[in-house]
Amino acid sequence: MNLALTEEQHFVRESFASLFANEAPSARVREAEAEGGHDPGLWNLLTETGALGVGVPEDLGGGGGGLLELSLIAEEAGRRVAPVPFPETAAAARLLAECGVGDLLHDVLSGSRIVSLATGSGPVERQLLTDGAVADIVLSLQGDQVVAVHRPAVVRRVSNMGGLPMARWETPAEIEILAKGDRSRRRFAAALDEVRILRAAALNGLASEAIEIGAAYARQREAFGIPIGTYQAVAHPLADALVAKDGAQLLTWKACWATTERLPRASSLAAMAFVFSAESAYTATQHSLHIHGGYGFTVECDIQLYYRRAKAWVTTFADPDRELDVVAERTLGPAPGSRRTPARTLAEGA
Amino acid sequence: MDFSEPAHLKDIRAEAEAFVVQHVTADLLEEELRTGDGISRPLLRAMGARGWVAAMWPKEEGGAGLDPFETATMLGVIRAAGGPTIGPGTTMLSANALRAMGSQQLRERILPGVAAGETLICLGYTEPEGGSDVFACKTRSVRDGDEWIINGQKMFTTFAHRADYCFLLTRTDPESHGPRGLTMFLVPMDSPGIEIQAVRTMGYERTNIVFYSDVRVSDDLRLGEAGQGLHVIRAALEAEQNVAPSSRTSQLYEAALAWARSAADGNGAPMLDDPSVRRRLARLAIDAEVTELLGYRVGFLEQLGAKPGPHAALFGPESYVRWSKEVLDMVGPAGMVDWTDPETAQGGTFEYHFRCSVASTIYGGSSEVLRSLIAEQLLGLPRSRPKS
Repeated sequence: MNLALTEEQHFVRESFASLFANEAPSARVREAEAEGGHDPGLWNLLTETGALGVGVPEDLGGGGGGLLELSLIAEEAGRRVAPVPFPETAAAARLLAECGVGDLLHDVLSGSRIVSLATGSGPVERQLLTDGAVADIVLSLQGDQVVAVHRPAVVRRVSNMGGLPMARWETPAEIEILAKGDRSRRRFAAALDEVRILRAAALNGLASEAIEIGAAYARQREAFGIPIGTYQAVAHPLADALVAKDGAQLLTWKACWATTERLPRASSLAAMAFVFSAESAYTATQHSLHIHGGYGFTVECDIQLYYRRAKAWVTTFADPDRELDVVAERTLGPAPGSRRTPARTLAEGA
Repeated sequence: MDFSEPAHLKDIRAEAEAFVVQHVTADLLEEELRTGDGISRPLLRAMGARGWVAAMWPKEEGGAGLDPFETATMLGVIRAAGGPTIGPGTTMLSANALRAMGSQQLRERILPGVAAGETLICLGYTEPEGGSDVFACKTRSVRDGDEWIINGQKMFTTFAHRADYCFLLTRTDPESHGPRGLTMFLVPMDSPGIEIQAVRTMGYERTNIVFYSDVRVSDDLRLGEAGQGLHVIRAALEAEQNVAPSSRTSQLYEAALAWARSAADGNGAPMLDDPSVRRRLARLAIDAEVTELLGYRVGFLEQLGAKPGPHAALFGPESYVRWSKEVLDMVGPAGMVDWTDPETAQGGTFEYHFRCSVASTIYGGSSEVLRSLIAEQLLGLPRSRPKS
C-alpha cells in the first residue's frame, strides 16, 4: 500500500499542470470552441512534449510510462478543459503499440497524424465521432478485426454543447485491417477501458477546478452583508464535492494500478471509475455554477465551460446508468439472456 | 502507487479470523443484540491479552505495536463478525488523550488496565441541550481543597453503566463561554452522586443519560490544567473525526450480494438476474470501494504523520445511510424481518443496518460539522457558526 506518486510522476504532473495553465487559459478555450473545438497550437505543443507516447514502450519510441502517468496528464488537461483530444488519442497510441503497428505509431508520436478511437457501437459511418473533425484515422472494432478507418474527403462537423470537435464520416472511407482474432477483440476492449479511465481522470481534474472556482467565488462574493461561503447551503455541497472528487481520484488511480498489474478486477474498476467520476464531476459543476447565481449562466463566466464539458465528456462515451450494467457484468457475471458479449462490455481477459 | 494489501496484513487477518471463531460466540452475539451495550467483558479481556485494545501502542505498554492498517484490519474482522467494539474503540479515544497529556502518575494508574482490556472509559461530552455544539457545556466543576465537586448532566453516554471511568468535560469558570474555561476529568463511575438512566435507541443500542450531583473527584484525576480542557479534548475529537468506524458500506454490499446470489423471486427466477438488482449492486459496489479507499488513505496519511481530514468520516456514514435504505427497498419485506424470526433474510442484517445507520452520520461529529470543517480548512471558506 503506497498512495504516493513517485518523484517522476510528480514531475509529469507538475510539467503538464504548468503547460496547460500557460497554454490553455479560458480565453483560448473559448477561441478554440468558436473555431470547432480544437487548438492546433496546443496540440502541437502536446505532441512535442511526447504526451501521447508517455504510455508507449520506449523501444517503440514512447516514454515507457504507464496508464497512471497518462491519467495525470488527462487530469491536468481536464483541470483547464484544454481543447485537445486526449483520452481517445492516448488510448489509440497504446492500442497501436499493442497491435505492433509501428509506422502508424511513429506518425502519431511525431505529430504528423492524429489517430483516435471510434468508441460507439456499429459501423464508423453511423457513429458520431468524438474527435471526428480533427482525426486523420479512427481505430474501430469490426467483428474480430481492429481496423484503421481513414478520414474520408468530406466529413460533416457536428456543432455541439461540449465544444468538442465532433463529426460524422458518412461516406465510406478506406479501411485497413490492423489485427484480427480474439486477441484483437480483447485489445480493443482494453483500449475502451483505458478511455474509461482517462476520461475519469480528465473529469477529476475538471471537478477539482470547478470546486476551486466555486470556492473562490464563495469567498469573495457577498450577499446580505457577508461572503456567501458563510452560508452552509452554499458551503456544504462544495465540501461534499471535494470528498467525492478525492474518492474519484483514488478510484481512478486504483484502476490504473490494477490495469498495469493485469489484475482480474481491473476492468470492473475502470467502469466504476468512469461512473463515479462522471457523477462527481457533474454534481461539482452544477453546484459551483448554481452558487454564481445569474452570473454562472452567462457566457463570460468560466464555470459554464466546465458545466457543459462535465456532461459532454461523459455522454460522448456512455450513459453512466448503462455503464452500471457493465460494472454488474464484470463483478456479478453475465446478465441473463445476453447471447453474446459486445466489445463495449467485454472484460479484459474474458 | 500500490493499492495491494501489504503482505503482512494476511497474518493479522488470519489471526483475527481465528480469534473471532474462538471468542465471538453465538451467545455473545445474542447478548449484544439483547442488551445493546456495545461491550463484552470476556471479548475485551481476550483482546487485551493480545494487546489488541491499545493495538497501536508498543508492546511494553500493553499494546501490540500494530500499524494503522493492521489495526483497522483486525478491528474490521471482529466487527464484521458482529463482535462489539464500541467499548474499546471509545475507550481508546480518551486513553490516547490521557497518554499524550496526562500526568505520569495518572498514566501509570489508568493505562495498563486499559491496554489489558480491564478498564473501560466512556465519553461525557454531550449535554441534553448541547448536541453538535460540544462546547455548550454547562456541567460545573468547582474546586474544593484537593477535590472537585461536579454537578450537571450528560446525554448519550454509551456504556456508562458498564464503564469504569468517564472522560468528562466540565466548565470551571462560570463566566466563560464556548471552548474556554473548561476542565477535563477522569471520573470513576462508582462515585457517589452519579445516577445513570438507560436510553433505548431504535438501533438496538442502549445509551444513557448520566446525572452528576455533588460528585467529588480527586484533583489527581484532572487531565491538563484547570480551565485548559480544550487542549485535552481537541486531540480526542480530531482522532474521532479521522476514523470511519461506523461506516459499514462494504458489509452491506457483501450481505446484499449474498442475498442476491441465494434468493429468488416468486417464480423462482434468481434475484441476481433482476436488472434493477444488478444496477443497484453495481452502484453500491462503487460506493463500498470509495469508502474503503478513503479509509485506506486515512491509514496511509497517518503513517506519514499527516492529517488525513474528515473525508472518510463523512463519505462512509453518508453512503451507509443511503444504501441501508436502497438495499431494504431491493430486498423487500423479507428484509424487514428481524433477527429473532426464523424467516429472516441474511440473519436480519438489512433491518439491522436500516435501524443503525442513521446514527452513524450523527455521532463522532455530525455530517454538518464535518462539512463545515472541510469547507473552512480545505476550501478556505468563512466560518459559518457564530464565534463564541
